[in-house]
This record gives sequence, C-alpha cells and structure tokens, in this order.
Amino acid sequence: MEHLDITGKSIGETNRALRNLIADHDQVIIDNPHSSHNLGTALKGNGKVTINGSTGYFTGGFLAGPTLDILGNTGWYTGDNMSAGEIIISKNTGSNCGPSMMGGTILVRGNSGSRVGFAMKGGNLIVCGDVGRWAGYMTLGGRIIVLGEMGPVIGESMYRGIIHTADPAVEKKLGNNVSVIPISDAEKKEVSALFEKYQIDHPVNSLKSVIPLKTGRTKYTIFNPTHKVRSKND
Amino acid sequence: MTEEATKTRNRKKDKIPKVPNPDGIWTKEVRAEINHKAVTGQHRIRGMGVNMRYPNFDDLLVLPAQLSRLSVDTYREPCVTKTVLGTRFAKKPLEIETPIMISGMSYGALGKEAKTALAKATQIVGTSINNGEGGLLPEERDNSYKQVVQILPSRFGFSLETIEAADALEIICGIGAKPGLTGHLLGSKITEEIAEMRQIPAGLDLYSHPRHGDIFGPDDMVLKIQELRDITNYEIPIFLKIAAGRVTEDVKIAVKTGADGVVIDGCQGGTGAAPVVALKHLGIPTLPALVQATKALEDMGVKDEFSLIVSGGIKDGADVAKAMALGADAVAIGTGANIALGCTTCHQCHEGICGSGICTQEPQYRELLKCDAAERVANYITAMTNEAVILAKAAGKTRLSNLEREDIRSITLEACAMTGIPLVGTNYTFTERFGFC
Repeated sequence: MEHLDITGKSIGETNRALRNLIADHDQVIIDNPHSSHNLGTALKGNGKVTINGSTGYFTGGFLAGPTLDILGNTGWYTGDNMSAGEIIISKNTGSNCGPSMMGGTILVRGNSGSRVGFAMKGGNLIVCGDVGRWAGYMTLGGRIIVLGEMGPVIGESMYRGIIHTADPAVEKKLGNNVSVIPISDAEKKEVSALFEKYQIDHPVNSLKSVIPLKTGRTKYTIFNPTHKVRSKND
Repeated sequence: MTEEATKTRNRKKDKIPKVPNPDGIWTKEVRAEINHKAVTGQHRIRGMGVNMRYPNFDDLLVLPAQLSRLSVDTYREPCVTKTVLGTRFAKKPLEIETPIMISGMSYGALGKEAKTALAKATQIVGTSINNGEGGLLPEERDNSYKQVVQILPSRFGFSLETIEAADALEIICGIGAKPGLTGHLLGSKITEEIAEMRQIPAGLDLYSHPRHGDIFGPDDMVLKIQELRDITNYEIPIFLKIAAGRVTEDVKIAVKTGADGVVIDGCQGGTGAAPVVALKHLGIPTLPALVQATKALEDMGVKDEFSLIVSGGIKDGADVAKAMALGADAVAIGTGANIALGCTTCHQCHEGICGSGICTQEPQYRELLKCDAAERVANYITAMTNEAVILAKAAGKTRLSNLEREDIRSITLEACAMTGIPLVGTNYTFTERFGFC
C-alpha cells in the first residue's frame, strides 16, 4: 500500500505519479484530493486506488482496468469514456455520470445528476439513490440500474442497452423510442450478481426494464402542432 | 375537355402577355422542393454541400512582384511548403509537407476502398488524413502519413486506442455543412461491419448525438483538453473544429480553452447527408469566416502561436494561396479530394448507391472506385500545392506561409467589404470596422 499526498501537485504530476505507483503496487491511497479535476485519468492495470475525499470533474476518465474507490462526492462526467475497471463513489455525483463509457462498472451509493449514462456503450452504471432527467440518453449499449426516483425523459432515443429501474412511475417518464417491460429471469440473475458483489440490499423483483424499441420506432418529431377546432361559441 | 372549351382556353392563352423570367421566385428547383414537402411532409435530405454561389476566394486576386519587389524563379528557385501545426503547447507538432490536409470523412459515409485510397494519397504527398466520425479504420491508420483523429459527440468507435494512434486530435464542435445539427447516416449505408465499428444496430437510420456528453460548455472544454493532454503526455496537438458562424467569439473562446489551433469550416463544406435547408441557410462562407478568425487571433496577440486551418469549398491552389495570405496556416479539403477519387457531384451521397464507388458500402458499387484513386488524389494535392507555389513565387515569396494580405486585392465590392482587402485598382478599402480594417 502506498500513500500519495497530492497537495500542491499539478494534475499532470499527480496522474503521472499515480500511473507509476499503480504499476508497482496493489493499492494506492490518495490523500487531500481537494476536489481536483481530471483525477485518475487513463489508469491501466489491476490495482486499487482509494481517494480520501471528494473529487472534481472528469474523475477516472478513460479508466482501463483499476478500481477507483472514492470516499466522497465526484463532479460531473465521472468515468467518461472508461473501458474497464470500477469506480465506486460513496456519496453523490454531479451530472453526466459515465458519458460514453464502454465497459467496467460505476457504482454511485448516493444520488446522481441528470443524463446518467449519456451515450453509454457498455458496462454497468448503478445508482443506489435518485437520478435527474434524461437518464440513458441515446445509449448504444450497457446496463443502467437506478434504485431511487428518476427524472423525466428516461432512455430518450436509446439505440441499444437497458435501464433497470425501481421507480414506480417509470411509464410516465419515458422518452421517445423506448418501452417498459418486466425484468426477465436472466436479467434478474445478472443484476443479483452485481448486487451481491457490491453488497446492495434491494429486491430485484421490484425492478422494471426500459429497452429501445426494436421495431416501429417513432419518427423524430421536429414540429408537432396541436390544432384545436374552434367552435362558434369560443 | 370539349373542342369548344379547348378553343376558349387557347384564346385566353394567346391573350396572356409573355413574361420575362416567368419563373421568378418559383423556379423549377423551388417547385420541386414544394412538391417534395407536399407529398412527404418532410424536409429534403441530400449529400455534398451548398450549390449556391457565395463570396469566395475567386473574388480576390494575387498581386505579382515587379519593380517594388522581386519575384522568385518559378522553375529553379525553391519555395518552402512544409507546414508545422500545433506548436503552441504540443511537444510533437503536426509536420506535413504541404499545407493541404484531407478533412474528416467517416468510414460509413465513405466506403473502405475510398478511405484507404485517401490514406494512401497522404502517404504519397506527405500530408494528414482525418478519420471522421465512426472510428478509425485499420486500413486508414496503416496507410496514412499523419493521422488526425476526431473526437465527436457520438464517440462512435472511439476509445483510448484511437487516441494513442493519433498524430493530432480534433474536437468537433460543428461542421460547416450543417452546423448545430447532428450527424446523419441513413440505414442503407450501415452494414454489419459499420455497425460493429460504430457499436450501433445495423440498418437503422442514425442521427448522431447533438453535443458532447462530457463537454457542456467552454469551461468543460478546458478540462477536457487538459484530460486529453494528460493522456497523450502533452505530445500531440489538439485542435477544435468550429463551423463558421459567430467566428470572432468562438475563436477567442477556442484560444482560451487551451487548444493548439482551430479548424474553421465554412458553409461551403460538404457532408454525407444533411437537410437542404441547413446546407443553404446555416453558417457563413469560408472567406469572411477566415478574416474574422485571423482578426480574432491578432486581437488576442496569438496569431503566430495558434494554428488556423480553414476548410469549406477549397478547390485549387489559388484558394490555398489566398487563404494563406488571409492568415490560414493550412487548408483542409474534402469534396475536392472526392472529385479526384472520381466523384461526379450528383449530390446523392446519402443514398449509398454511389456510382463512383466512393460514398457507398455496397460491394458492387465499391468495385467501381477507380483503380488509381490514391494516385489521382495525390496528383491533385501535388498540383494544387504547385499552383499555390506559382502564385507565391510570382508574389516574391520563398515560403508559402510568407503570403500576406498586402499580396492580394479584391475584385468585387462585396469581397472588399468583407475582407478589408483593397479593391483592385486602388489601395483603398471600405471604411473602418469592415474586414481587417
């Protein structure tokens, strides 16, 4: 185990030091992160990085293998473009968590902002609390799980992928080109395995699945006026 | 119709006076547009760029060196064309042998053979190719001289590996043909292979993501560029591509984001598919956009360190020379390169049945690509470069990059007003606040 105090270090110096340490050590602990942006960019390997505190924007961007355990909050764009590994956030994240992520897992123990999984392509994104609007916007793959309440316009224009949600009002909040179906037995098994791995206590049976329409996709609406027929008495 | 009714109609017809320009606003094209909308209820989509005439580089002339300055021998004295871009922060700037680059055109919009031919052409002439949207085709990467990798909102086929393969990165904010709109790739062009590269379902009409999921404003762009610098060890240049609109403001913001340069794409730029209304009515032409970009960089005192690349309707060496005289460090070509490949400019790129074997994924059409396509594009770029050199030498320059505003004149009042370049036969421009004035 190695400690890295990043007080006074530039983010370039920090990430270079981190890459060198993670190559030689199983575990690295970062002290005094001071909500730094771009922390843990493009880390490779299999080690674990524990961050003692909150981080800023773009935490764990392009992550390609290690586990980032963040004991605090993260800013916007956590895990952007990550391809492998884990990002576990003990508290909340800002908006656009996991944009364009290709693989790996992001676990948010608290809440997340709007647009979780924006253009997500693969991997798992689990939010134990609530999320804002436009979750799963134009996803191309992967799995989003939200155990709390979701904002409106869920899964707008998803091409592929799936959203599992415990929000009882999901049907009223859907975006275009998606539908809600009961969670399948195979999906229950996969989600249960994730819950067991990350010690999440939640009944899998309460989840529903939001999936992209395979056929009969709605047309993109640019202009859709509603005309009222006026009666003579109006 | 009865015989009597026909006679009546013909008599009325005879009384209608002949109208000069009978079409007026309602030309054949306008009528066809209206009919299309009346039948479908939708706007029309087509490929390539705008086909209207806007003020362009042909509205400028180069002044030859005579007594006031000496010309350089066209055939025996050298003129440097080597171009270095991205020197502001990158440890390894982009070095190319000619200031003519090939702009971003995706594998998907273009077929594999066409993309490969373009890449081979860059190897012959020593310039760069840009992968465009939809991932980096291995054949392109393996054959290119210098590889520019685009970072688009959709991130189709994008990964850490594509960044590591790049000689320069280009973050797309918009393209000149359809600024502010998302990418269009119609389902007929999305084969299984394209779908796999882009990580999307095959055969489905694709409207790309409208904005970057990890860049929601200029402040985020600053952090994103820092992230990309960190990943690339501060080595390769990072450019922003901006469609020409509010050029002054956008270029100044681009400078402040920490990029190495900017690509300004004028509204004459082409694309694989776009709404006709966007092609015709969105964005401003390349010529005034370049003037505004140069002036913005000069105002900020960074013209010498911040690379300025211009694209959109660049067709010959004269355009290159004049663009460089107006402040461009390099130009990028797309449609011109496609025409060299064999494109007949039928504007049907979106249909996926390109008879020239360029904008298609169908094997029977891809076979139609000219067998010497790479050499043709290389020849075209070589000839364009030579044309620019001829003009530069005649203007007394031993380097293409030495061309300056003093070397050109406007031949139209429009160009004079837009650029602030004096009108031919005078040394005067319009009043203050126009162009470079």
